[in-house]
Amino acid sequence: MATVELEQVFKQYGSTPVVKGLSLKVEAGEFLSLLGPSGCGKTTTLRMVAGLERIDRGVLRIDGRVVDGPQVNMPPERRGLGMVFQSYAVWPHRTVAQNVAYPLTLQGLGAQEIAARVQEALGWVRLQPFADRPPSQLSGGQLQRVAIARALVARPKVLLLDEPLSNLDAALREELRGEIASLRATLGTTMIFVTHDQHEALALSDRVAVMNHGVIEQIASPEQLYREPATPFVASFVGGANVLTGTVDGSTFTTHGERFELPGEGPATTIAVRPEHVRLGEGTPLRLLARLFLGSAVEYRFALGDVVLRAVGPAVEAARVGDHVRVGFSQVRRYASPAES
Amino acid sequence: MKRSLALALAVGAVAFGPLGVLLSRGLGVDWLATWTSPPTLLALRGTVVTSLGAAMLALTVGLPLAVLIGRTDLPLRRTLQAAFTLPSALPPFILGMGWVGLANPKAGLLNLLFGVGTFDIYGAGGIAFVLGCAAIPLVFLPALASLARVDGALEEAARMSGATPLRALLGVSVPLALPAALSGAALAFLFAASAFGVPYLLGVTATPPTPTLTTRIYSEVLVGSEGLARASVLSVELLALAALLLVGSRALARGVLLSQGKGGARRPVPLGAARWPLALASLSVMFVLVVLPLLAVALTSVQPVWGQFSGLTVKHWSSVLSNARTLDAATRSLVLSLGAASLVTVLGLGLASRRRGWLDTLAGAPYAVPGTVLALALLTSFARDVRFIAFDRVAFVLALGNTAWLLLLAYVVKHLAFGVRNASDGFAQVDPSLTEAARLSGASPARAFLDATLPQLRAPLGAAFVVTFLTCMTELTLSVLLIPTGRDVLGTLLFDLQSYADPGSAAVIACAFIVLVLLAQFVRRPKEA
Repeated sequence: MATVELEQVFKQYGSTPVVKGLSLKVEAGEFLSLLGPSGCGKTTTLRMVAGLERIDRGVLRIDGRVVDGPQVNMPPERRGLGMVFQSYAVWPHRTVAQNVAYPLTLQGLGAQEIAARVQEALGWVRLQPFADRPPSQLSGGQLQRVAIARALVARPKVLLLDEPLSNLDAALREELRGEIASLRATLGTTMIFVTHDQHEALALSDRVAVMNHGVIEQIASPEQLYREPATPFVASFVGGANVLTGTVDGSTFTTHGERFELPGEGPATTIAVRPEHVRLGEGTPLRLLARLFLGSAVEYRFALGDVVLRAVGPAVEAARVGDHVRVGFSQVRRYASPAES
Repeated sequence: MKRSLALALAVGAVAFGPLGVLLSRGLGVDWLATWTSPPTLLALRGTVVTSLGAAMLALTVGLPLAVLIGRTDLPLRRTLQAAFTLPSALPPFILGMGWVGLANPKAGLLNLLFGVGTFDIYGAGGIAFVLGCAAIPLVFLPALASLARVDGALEEAARMSGATPLRALLGVSVPLALPAALSGAALAFLFAASAFGVPYLLGVTATPPTPTLTTRIYSEVLVGSEGLARASVLSVELLALAALLLVGSRALARGVLLSQGKGGARRPVPLGAARWPLALASLSVMFVLVVLPLLAVALTSVQPVWGQFSGLTVKHWSSVLSNARTLDAATRSLVLSLGAASLVTVLGLGLASRRRGWLDTLAGAPYAVPGTVLALALLTSFARDVRFIAFDRVAFVLALGNTAWLLLLAYVVKHLAFGVRNASDGFAQVDPSLTEAARLSGASPARAFLDATLPQLRAPLGAAFVVTFLTCMTELTLSVLLIPTGRDVLGTLLFDLQSYADPGSAAVIACAFIVLVLLAQFVRRPKEA
């Protein structure tokens, strides 16, 4: 268990800035997710922690010790970390057991101890029966479990996970998500998890850092993030909210040529409305573009000027595509700054 | 950055230094007069005519064959593909020997069957024919690869638009494969223009003689110092031609479209009733162009008297195999080829590991330089001992001239492209996270390379080693010009025996080459699958 601290970290590739003055502290034993769309700098941040990328400016501390900064650059092999890669990165020329044994071999441990600890690590991911198999005989989910065992076998200070689930199909992804959660409960290792899937981040993390354009927009617990998104971006990326920009006059909000009555008062240039807070049957008439059956609910899409307004509700409306349906908002979040994607 | 620059300078010096020395050798000569003199113009004409003919033959056989094998349900596709790939692994000189045995106007086997004088392999037509046969893989293989990459959905879209299978094939897939085939044809032209053995075998003794630039360069080198200057001027002409063709080939290859979508599995176009007639036709072409000349070589090696059907004999085999000269040449070839293959593999790995495209290109450049020109460049550069003085104190003397070391250097410089290209492709296919995972496991950069990266490169590096070894074992052009007098490698032995009227013994060595190449094909086959 160790802390990871980034202080005013900058990184650019050529003339493109990727990470812009990022500061973050991961507590010992914490599970922190870096969540954001592709290109937001989350993977670069993780690779800088790993030591696979140098930081341009700023300081990186692991366990209170500077490992990257002015005049310091500790190579990845000496940082005592474990990492799980999106592409599994299981060495095809070694058996499962040999893959897992590698970090211990490099530490110069005796054969007996290595064998015992490899067995233990394979037990964590329920792969003991596969110890002597070559990786070519394993499925994607099994390969990723080998990678997890290999990353944890040497008891790293911090486990880094770079979109470890995104190459797996939906069922496997859920299964492995559960295994990561229970491993984390057993071992208590500090973990940093990079993902673009908000469900994964919300389900697994103690805290989530939402990144966009190389900066952290909000860092908070999953509940807080969902209930009180700090920016329009977080509201739309995490909650799937409709983000609308317009003008407020009292409780009347004008956007895209339509007027809506807002609950409560307060100044705003931008509001975020989650689909489940869009009320049907009263309010402003909008044309229904599409009706998508989701199982437990129905998603409705309305034309609002040149944008689409999404609503989710019970499947009771007899509204047909092309009809005008009255639409109102039961709950909104107000933002003073204009929306930025 | 400094290391990169030093490396670039070193590679550049090895790749282009000798060519620079060669150019300087021709400085005192009146270039225009040499280029416009009747013998040069005749040689240029010979090169252009034979190379154009060879490129056209390679294209007319290679492209239809690629379409038939790559996109239809033609029977025996694998056999045909293997047979038509074979000529690229053999020195074209052996095909030339086969055709001399078949179509020498007086003594060729075909002429004995059909009447003396029916076929004559000597002259421009014969050179173009033999080089064209040898160049078929240069068109066939890229066209086949290009057809395999064409997204199946493109053809299916044509089918859904109402086209018949044949129409979809001819209207969609073939045009998409055409740039690759044309680019290959330009390479076939370059290959023919650079060839030395075949034009020497079939052009010099033809009536009237058909000189080409390469054979002219060779005869000028034999003249001595005066000729060397003229040879260097001719080399520049050949080099310019090669550069032009290479640029042309690259430009054509740029038209090759990669598939964008995933595309489904592609169904071969059914040939219907034409299936077996087309197979029979393809097999006949294969028999005449590939099998027949090799059979003729085998037959020549067991004929008591060349050009007569008079029983079989093992006397050529026993005399060649018991000859000390053969053993000496075989040993030297083996040592040089193993050395060259090892160096090419290791240097290729080292250069490609820098992951710089331009460095790969630079190191691969000498492969495109015609063998005669490269040999001549090395010959002039190392005619005198080269001295380096380091720190004003230590002097290194490089006395390579007239030693087998020079031939080793030539083999390595020429074939470095194999090592660099294979290693480079290998690196491109290795997932970088495999190496990064080793670093995170606690391995130093060197250890991570050894443990995680290198094992993934075994197949491409092995291929580079085998290809370089085989090419050097059967190499002719560089060897003939660079081997010191009184010593032999297998290639020069073959060349001498064939040139000085012992075709039976030459055929024995040619058979050994054929067996070696066939063995290598069988050894490598399972790995590709």
